[in-house]
Amino acid sequence: MSLPRQVMASPLPGLDARRGFDRQMSMVVRGGEFLFVAGLTAVDPNTGERIRGTTMSETHQILANLRLLLEAAGSSLDRVVKVNVLLQSMLEAPNVNEVFAGFFPEPPPARTVCGACLPDGARVMIECTALA
Amino acid sequence: MMTLKLARSAIQPKNPLLNVSRSANLPHVPGIRVGDYLFLSGMGPIDPRTGGRNHGPIAEQIRATLNNVKHLLESAGSSLERVVRVHVVLADIAHLDEMDRVYREFFPVDPPARTAWSMQLRFGNGCEIECVALVD
Repeated sequence: MSLPRQVMASPLPGLDARRGFDRQMSMVVRGGEFLFVAGLTAVDPNTGERIRGTTMSETHQILANLRLLLEAAGSSLDRVVKVNVLLQSMLEAPNVNEVFAGFFPEPPPARTVCGACLPDGARVMIECTALA
Repeated sequence: MMTLKLARSAIQPKNPLLNVSRSANLPHVPGIRVGDYLFLSGMGPIDPRTGGRNHGPIAEQIRATLNNVKHLLESAGSSLERVVRVHVVLADIAHLDEMDRVYREFFPVDPPARTAWSMQLRFGNGCEIECVALVD
């Protein structure tokens, strides 16, 4: 029997990139035992509007949205296996760490942080793999 | 709980010209199958008829790359419909909209989770795309 593949419904209209930004992507896809979450930038979860802020405030917003997405899919932040963080400026990495510590219970997930050019002026983008 | 040891094996494209890691003697394989998951290496805009690079307009590069990804998936018993996660790396983030326009030809319904960003790429490539998929 083949592993199930399922696109998970977004819990709030703002957390749907296909509707909000006309981007051809699903936010959360289940594949077998794992949930794959798309790269998230800071948006208002109700309206989908971009939130521009500091790296710290954007990280906070993204992780709050990530929690909503995971919980709607039957998972949670403590089921996250691996996180990739893309930063417009690597100088901001310590600020990201500070926000991270407030979201992930011990032990936090495996993580990679790297510098990148991000779309639409976002300072942070975060994606993850979690257990379904 | 019963613990199963998953099998791990390398996958190959049916078209040997797309096996860039082998032809360029690079220390990686085109992809690895673990259990019923496929983890593909980053694929670039390779011309499947010559094995050379296709450095045309970005739309053409995206199309060539995704066709190659499709070929590799199908060579390994999967398909674009079974992709769960995609990484699209662009040399220039200004190409994001153009990438998305071509991308939706390949993933018209229930598209995978995607992360797209820009950073330095090798060989002058305009894009590199990797993915995780399930076998059928």
